[in-house]
Amino acid sequence: MSLNTANTMAERLITIKPYYEPGGQEVAIFAAAYRNQLPILLKGPTGCGKTRFIHYMSWFLKRPLVTVACHDDLTAADLVGRYLVRGGETEWLDGPLTHAVRTGAICYLDEIVEARKDTSVVIHPLCDDRRILPIDKLGQLLRVPPEFCLVVSYNPGYQSVMKDLKQSTRQRFVALEFGYPGAELETKIVATEGGVDGDTARRLVKFGGHTRNLKGSGLDEGASTRLLVSAAKLMASGVTPALACDTAVGHALSDDPEILHAVRELAAAVF
Amino acid sequence: MSDAPRQNLFNLIRVQKDLEKLSGQVLARTPRAAEVVADIAELERDAQNFIYHWTEVIALSNDELAAHFLAKAPVAFRYLDEAAVEDWIIKAMEAFDNRGLGFAIEIFDELERYVADRIHLQTGCQFEQVVGSLRYWIRGLGGRHLLLAIEAVAYTDTDQICLPATIGVLGDHAANARLYKCTAALLWAQNRYGTWRYRALEEAIRSLNTAGDWPIYQCLETVRLRACIARELPGLAREMEALAYPDEAGRAAWAQFMARAPRLVESSASARDSLDHVTALREIPLPPPLRFQGEMFPAKVREAMFKRVPRESSALQKALAALREELTDNPNPDAATPASDPANRFSLSTTEGAGGAADSFELRFNEQAVATSQELADLLASMLQDLGDLLDDDYLAAASRAAYPAEQETKPGQPDLPEYDAGARVALYPEWDYTRQRFRDAFCALTEHEVPFGDEAFVVNTRQRYHGLAKSIQRVFEAIMSEAQRQRRQAHGDELDLDALVDAHIDRLHGREMSDRLYTQFRKAGRDVAVMFMVDMSGSTKGWVNDAERESLILLCDAVTTLGDQYAIYGFSGRTNKRCEVYRIKTFNEPFSGEVRRRISGMAPKAYTRMGVAIRHLGKLLSAVPARTKLLITLSDGKPEDYGSYRGRYGIEDTRHALLEVKRSGIHPFCITIDKEAQSYLPHMYGTANFTVVDEVTKLPYKVADIYRRLTT
Repeated sequence: MSLNTANTMAERLITIKPYYEPGGQEVAIFAAAYRNQLPILLKGPTGCGKTRFIHYMSWFLKRPLVTVACHDDLTAADLVGRYLVRGGETEWLDGPLTHAVRTGAICYLDEIVEARKDTSVVIHPLCDDRRILPIDKLGQLLRVPPEFCLVVSYNPGYQSVMKDLKQSTRQRFVALEFGYPGAELETKIVATEGGVDGDTARRLVKFGGHTRNLKGSGLDEGASTRLLVSAAKLMASGVTPALACDTAVGHALSDDPEILHAVRELAAAVF
Repeated sequence: MSDAPRQNLFNLIRVQKDLEKLSGQVLARTPRAAEVVADIAELERDAQNFIYHWTEVIALSNDELAAHFLAKAPVAFRYLDEAAVEDWIIKAMEAFDNRGLGFAIEIFDELERYVADRIHLQTGCQFEQVVGSLRYWIRGLGGRHLLLAIEAVAYTDTDQICLPATIGVLGDHAANARLYKCTAALLWAQNRYGTWRYRALEEAIRSLNTAGDWPIYQCLETVRLRACIARELPGLAREMEALAYPDEAGRAAWAQFMARAPRLVESSASARDSLDHVTALREIPLPPPLRFQGEMFPAKVREAMFKRVPRESSALQKALAALREELTDNPNPDAATPASDPANRFSLSTTEGAGGAADSFELRFNEQAVATSQELADLLASMLQDLGDLLDDDYLAAASRAAYPAEQETKPGQPDLPEYDAGARVALYPEWDYTRQRFRDAFCALTEHEVPFGDEAFVVNTRQRYHGLAKSIQRVFEAIMSEAQRQRRQAHGDELDLDALVDAHIDRLHGREMSDRLYTQFRKAGRDVAVMFMVDMSGSTKGWVNDAERESLILLCDAVTTLGDQYAIYGFSGRTNKRCEVYRIKTFNEPFSGEVRRRISGMAPKAYTRMGVAIRHLGKLLSAVPARTKLLITLSDGKPEDYGSYRGRYGIEDTRHALLEVKRSGIHPFCITIDKEAQSYLPHMYGTANFTVVDEVTKLPYKVADIYRRLTT
């Protein structure tokens, strides 16, 4: 391991405890899966705390965290690594996944369904009992250390055939389902994270619930906890509730003027 | 004779002559023609021309109607500006289109009423203006999905919230829109906070014996519901308070009334408490109704509920049976009758909110919380609103025990009600009337139909006859596919291109400039094309044309399937605006199966070619498909034409307008036609480059696949 990597690994260790309110048994399950070297799949709508959870677990297990935000151009080579030409010579550069395997980190592939299909070639052997990472171009077979853990997330709410996880992939994971927290817990989270009083947080959560009623009839998703926290932060900085809900929630959810109007009115009704 | 009267006389004669020139002898039919001519002569020249123009346009539809317009037109200009007069005309024309001559004449004759309504309308708010966002708002508040509909008075039957067509009691538009919202909110609250829960409703019907009791009960419930709203939705409650009372006396009367029933504003109050207060308040004068109070029709509520509850409990039985099967992993629920086993039972725990509304609930199975699907959650929420605590564990147990759910009524919903949410099978589309330069709203009624299966032999014969052609088409299309291969010598890419690297290295050794194109890359995502084939099934295609169309489709489908493009095939025809029809031959989600082939074979000539509405409908289907490139390809044999006025320029202009509409939504329209005169009208409709004329019918199968290839590569 070069000095350079060691530095970045140190940077990737999370030393300050992230704020996270467990909604159930997820911390214990994750820890157990980690001990048993099982890969983990996080399911849930956007903004419900998946990424925060993984940060928390990284801190909890004291392992560095390598996060890859997947996109539709992400190939297996982007994960594993590639040769670059430097000064007439070719030089190998590890990709984030290889890097995580070598250093025994937690590798978090966010929104795995967005990545190209060929990524499954490297993910599959990592996720079953073989626990190996084949690097074809180097002709190497990396044995995966026990500290390494692969975590992927995906949002089942897209309802698109293109954005579905194949059975052969999903059946390799221990799945943890995340939803929006219950009203009481969510109120606590919004109050703590957003820096507002309990009553304001309660109203914001109520408003969030109203927008979630619109899921499937006008909205693809209701307001996530993250959006409610953003609105709370704006309000804590002196923005009026109506404006905060409109900018942090309404416009984040939709562009349709009728829906925006309805969301605005919903906010007006609770404040 | 002095100048001014002479001028007047000239004017009069000129107007008289102008009017006589109008088609259909409108002037001759006009009552008090001389007075009308004199009145028109006094108008500005622009107004006169306006009247001439519209008289001509209306006469195209009906001479009699034009005469009635002419008689009132000069008066109209006294009260209204030009835009308003035009509105008035359009309103009458729409009445003529949709309801007949009598109604249209009535609108022209009753100009005064139109003028009064218009003044009212300028400050008033219309249902259509608020329904869009109000629907979402009500949905967002939660509870059963309530539809919004127009009725003369505001009330709810627990399936829908009915609101008047306009609200104009307040001075400005925004305030009236708020009043709409508050009216809907109170009716929503009746549903939400238990006014119409089964037990409360039955008790109310039993114990409120005189007609005079219901208004008292309604006022009491209004007090209770407003208190519920104030607790849950304080912002809304403030808004309602600001709008509630017509005057100060009203406010005072309500304050007095509320003081007599303090129990109702407590959070534990229920409809039962309102009922208990009725007797004591029989002798007391009621406060004037709030602006948003609406009406109560218990009989309608009961009717809706008695239809809904059996339907929903049957759906619940099915859902629970399915869920139990899933949870116990028992594929055969009848075998061991696990439901009668007390260990396998469902229970429901609810958190009570204000007014006994079930705020949230949790379905449990053997004391373990289980996740419910959205449908089941909606169903339970709706049933909780009807049944309240009647929906207890015993009810669930009984529901989940029934192995064969009781047969439910097959009629879904109430199809004859004017619904705004439900997707009715008849779709209404506007049509562009170039003479009026306006849409005729909701003018065309379009329905989708299945095509009966045809003879499989046709498919076999076609494939045999065009065997050679099919092969060459296949080769061409496969070549298109192989274009989407690894691209070499790219500046950026996934892999090094070794050949390029070696060349570059050699270049470097020879002291030449190296290329920086050293990578290979897969062409991104390949094709992303969705295409809708819209096939003319009008009567004129009978014979050769229809055969050629069907043959082309079979060859084309084979080819397009090779490419992996998404495609759908619909036929269109119809007779008049009331019966526009499209025929489903292949939808986007369907593979090119034997069924599709037999449907193609079963395509038969029908009636006329009303193209605009078909383009609007199929364009809508196409825009819902996710694809980067979208094509709407029409196979046709001639101009748009339909029974009635849809011929000549009218049909062409409507079609052109419909095509412009779909273009705006990112669809490329293209037309393949066999009409040799197409040059005279197709460039106007599709644009000069967007159509092809195939001059011989028999060549159609040879050409279509080729045209498709050119279009999409």
